[in-house]
Amino acid sequence: MLNCDSLDSLVTPYVDGELTDTDRRAVEDHLRACPPCYTRVAAERTVHDLVRARRDTLCRSKAPDGLRGRCAALAQQATAENAETAPHRFASAFQPAGRTRITTPESRRLPTPDSRLPRRLAPLALAASLVVVVGGAFVYQATDKSARVLAAELVADHAKCFAMNNVLGTHQSASVVEESMAASFGWRMHLPQEPAKAGLELVGARPCLYGEGKIAHIMYRHQGHQVSVFMLPNTERAQELVEVLGHEAAIWCANNRTFVVVAREPRREVEQIASFVQASLH
Amino acid sequence: MNRSEGLHVVSPAFEAEALALLDSLYRAARRLTRVPADAEDLVQETYLKAFRAAGQFEPGTNLKAWLFTILHNTARNRARDRARDTVAIDSEFVDRAADAPAPAGRSLAAGETPESLLLRETLAPELQAAIDELPEQFRQAVWLRDVEEFSYAEIASMLSIKVGTVMSRISRGRHLLFEKLKSLRPANA
Repeated sequence: MLNCDSLDSLVTPYVDGELTDTDRRAVEDHLRACPPCYTRVAAERTVHDLVRARRDTLCRSKAPDGLRGRCAALAQQATAENAETAPHRFASAFQPAGRTRITTPESRRLPTPDSRLPRRLAPLALAASLVVVVGGAFVYQATDKSARVLAAELVADHAKCFAMNNVLGTHQSASVVEESMAASFGWRMHLPQEPAKAGLELVGARPCLYGEGKIAHIMYRHQGHQVSVFMLPNTERAQELVEVLGHEAAIWCANNRTFVVVAREPRREVEQIASFVQASLH
Repeated sequence: MNRSEGLHVVSPAFEAEALALLDSLYRAARRLTRVPADAEDLVQETYLKAFRAAGQFEPGTNLKAWLFTILHNTARNRARDRARDTVAIDSEFVDRAADAPAPAGRSLAAGETPESLLLRETLAPELQAAIDELPEQFRQAVWLRDVEEFSYAEIASMLSIKVGTVMSRISRGRHLLFEKLKSLRPANA
């Protein structure tokens, strides 16, 4: 029969039900004959049972909402990094030549097939580098930042939100976006009636991560490329066009709201998109 | 986007499965860090590493254990890097304490045993508080076993310790918890 010392290493696996039948019977034989050991095992079993009985309540706390989105975006980042390190295959994604295009009225509707792959990957690769740049920015002070810093953070958000949208595959109608803007920001407006006239296609809306949900973000595609319209409530800023991190950001104000259009498009096109949004947003 | 291009993409299934474990990982991170923002950081670093190494994960094995191992390794590396603001824990001392014999049982009041009383009356918040007060090593071991339900081997790999040490820490942690909870409600009350 086991003695008390040799029981030591068997108590925990016994309580956890991890012993072989032979060992388990040996432990039980000893416990019947030895009250001190019985008490010791009972104490451990009690805690084991208690923790398991309260397990669901102990596990009730949830991760913060924003964290899920940020982690989801990391899958895109990892994919983009892997693409970046793969030789040759995606190299053209990062060459300016891959971005040239002819802007005839016909070509506005359809991206040329040979340029589709590089264009799709480029913003993701950008997201990868941006996370490092602004990863520590948790608190968003929309008012006292330079236009450049504001633009940089919005560019980061632009890239992340689109990356996430690629995962979730959300597509919202204009009326859904308008309702959510009214509900979340008290911003009653009408989106541009005929975005297709400016080559824009509505993707959807998001409350933004960097803005701690205080910034409205409406996403469009312009000839397949990603365009963001941000709205910062209760903020006045000078009108400006900033080039930052390979993107253009057009900033303007109306009715104590700051608007920023962000896109990785030539300056002229971003200006045109911004004027279109400015003129048609009611 | 089309994910079938190239071998280096994170598959949607892997991503979804990994993200389904976010709450567990976040709770684990909260136990390992003092500040919520640090916990979020730790979780994000864990996911980034996991997604980068997704190709190394063997399908069919325990994804949760794999992610927890990355999380604990990352936390250990961070603690090492930031030795300045971490509480130094003498690991050997803790393990020697774990080897000390558990306190012997006391005589019981008639009818009620401390065990049955504890089991019936201890509510989750009280239990949580008692768990939080355990020394780090014991707290991790008990939690990973009894709440997260990992195997001894999985915990050993997460904490980078031997299986025998895992068992002695679980045992010691449970006994400390028992004593703590018992002291909150005298047996003959």
